[in-house]
Amino acid sequence: MANKAFSLTTQAGASIAPGIELTGAAAKFWRAYRPTIRGTYTFILILVVWEIVGRYVLTSRLMFAPVSAVAEEFVKLWASGGLQQDMLVSFTALFFGFLIAAAVGITMGSFIAVSDAASEHFDPIINALYATPLIALAPILILVFGIGPASKVAIVCLLAVFPILINTKAGIRSADESLIEAARSFGANGFEIFRLVLIPSALPFIVAGFRLGIGKGLIAVFIGELFGAREGLGYLILLSSQSFNIPGMFVGVIILAGTGVLLVALFEFLEKKIAPWRQFELKA
Amino acid sequence: MHPTKLETLGIGKQFANGGTDEVLTVLTDISLRIRPSEFVSIVGASGCGKTTFLRILDGLIPPSSGSVLIDGREVDRPDHKRGFVFQKDSLWPWRTTMGNVMFGLQIQRRPRGEARETARKLIELVGLKGFESHYPHQLSGGMRQRVNLARAIAVNPEVLLMDEPFAALDAQTREVMQLELLRIWGAEKKTVVFVTHQIDEAVFLSDRVIVFAARPGRVKEIVPIDLPRPRPFSIKRTEQFVRHVDRIWGLLEEEVFKSSGVERPVH
Repeated sequence: MANKAFSLTTQAGASIAPGIELTGAAAKFWRAYRPTIRGTYTFILILVVWEIVGRYVLTSRLMFAPVSAVAEEFVKLWASGGLQQDMLVSFTALFFGFLIAAAVGITMGSFIAVSDAASEHFDPIINALYATPLIALAPILILVFGIGPASKVAIVCLLAVFPILINTKAGIRSADESLIEAARSFGANGFEIFRLVLIPSALPFIVAGFRLGIGKGLIAVFIGELFGAREGLGYLILLSSQSFNIPGMFVGVIILAGTGVLLVALFEFLEKKIAPWRQFELKA
Repeated sequence: MHPTKLETLGIGKQFANGGTDEVLTVLTDISLRIRPSEFVSIVGASGCGKTTFLRILDGLIPPSSGSVLIDGREVDRPDHKRGFVFQKDSLWPWRTTMGNVMFGLQIQRRPRGEARETARKLIELVGLKGFESHYPHQLSGGMRQRVNLARAIAVNPEVLLMDEPFAALDAQTREVMQLELLRIWGAEKKTVVFVTHQIDEAVFLSDRVIVFAARPGRVKEIVPIDLPRPRPFSIKRTEQFVRHVDRIWGLLEEEVFKSSGVERPVH
């Protein structure tokens, strides 16, 4: 009997923690948004722990700052207008670098995927470069392009281009042979097959490449602003840490992290949206 | 003499055997004449080159020797005179039913409105009205093969080449699709070459059944099916029908045992 009663309550309500039972609308809400609610719990918990540690454990403001101090610093920087300027500078570099990386990556990736000669010529060097920590080349690019936006765009592009290129190539190569043949049976020429079959079937892979590329692009912006820059989020982080303004450093880090989370989520959403027919393998 | 729609002259096909110098002969000396609006099936043991032959008819792959003629003109590449219905589910998953059926018309650069109208009529013909904006993954196997058929007919081909189109369907759906195909064939008056491994399917649908021998693939015998049309399902239980099936099964039996390497049992 006890068992039966238990199963009835789990059907009607929801147990969110031992001893806490929800019923009716609250239970429904819990079931629909459980992952979000739990994720938010953890997030809030981290903020609380951060605040406690900042106030009572690592009390030296030269080493650490509670989250409330970070929020205060955010408001201050925002009010001064400097934060918006830093964000604008960093995001502009990210945007243009990524745009070029996408154009180059998709073009080169397609070319290598459809041409055996191109593939044999370029595969070894691409694989070598993909495995290299290219960020090490950042100082050279800064020497070549100067400390302005051009060098940051170049670094973003260099880092983001390989995941996009490699995923484009993999996507086109993995296009189903029968889908290509079906198009051929209608007399489609090479370009039509490329445009109407290869690109659409590679699209989820290309977007997955964007998702991987954006993470690298954010690292690139940060690194690009560590050398000689006079503005941008990377510069904000560097300057703040050098002047022991720990809250200011966290403001920069959190904005970069938040941007990454948002953009990755956006691309993940797009991946699912454009290819609802498949749960494709994520290529890391 | 009957008029000829599709003719093959001594078709042969060899494949290089992956990396070695060995040459694998898949088809040898296939010469056929198929009349306009005729329904011809090809049956044969698996691996007898039926699909390869059909792909050569479409121009998807070139023959190693011989030629394919349609209305006396040689086929050298796929074009809109032939429509191919694939065995495998080869619908483009990112295109709706409408988008899939319109593909061939798009390749032919037909005006969009006209293409849409043609596609709409064909979707209705194959019984998928109301599913125009569904994606393939939202359709059942039988419905997908209907789209496959509508897509091939959309470019108004004179010859339909069908490669085991119902093989992946369950028995009931397959029977429904056979009737549907006969209805559409009756309405559209296409010449059909239909590859199958189901003997009763071949007999039910065809004017003639071409039995392939294996290794290398070649014509073993051509069996005319003189059953009256239209053919209801009940025809499958008539003595005449069963006799045709038995005869073709007898022809195929040797081939099947030969290709599976099993000794033929003594009756």
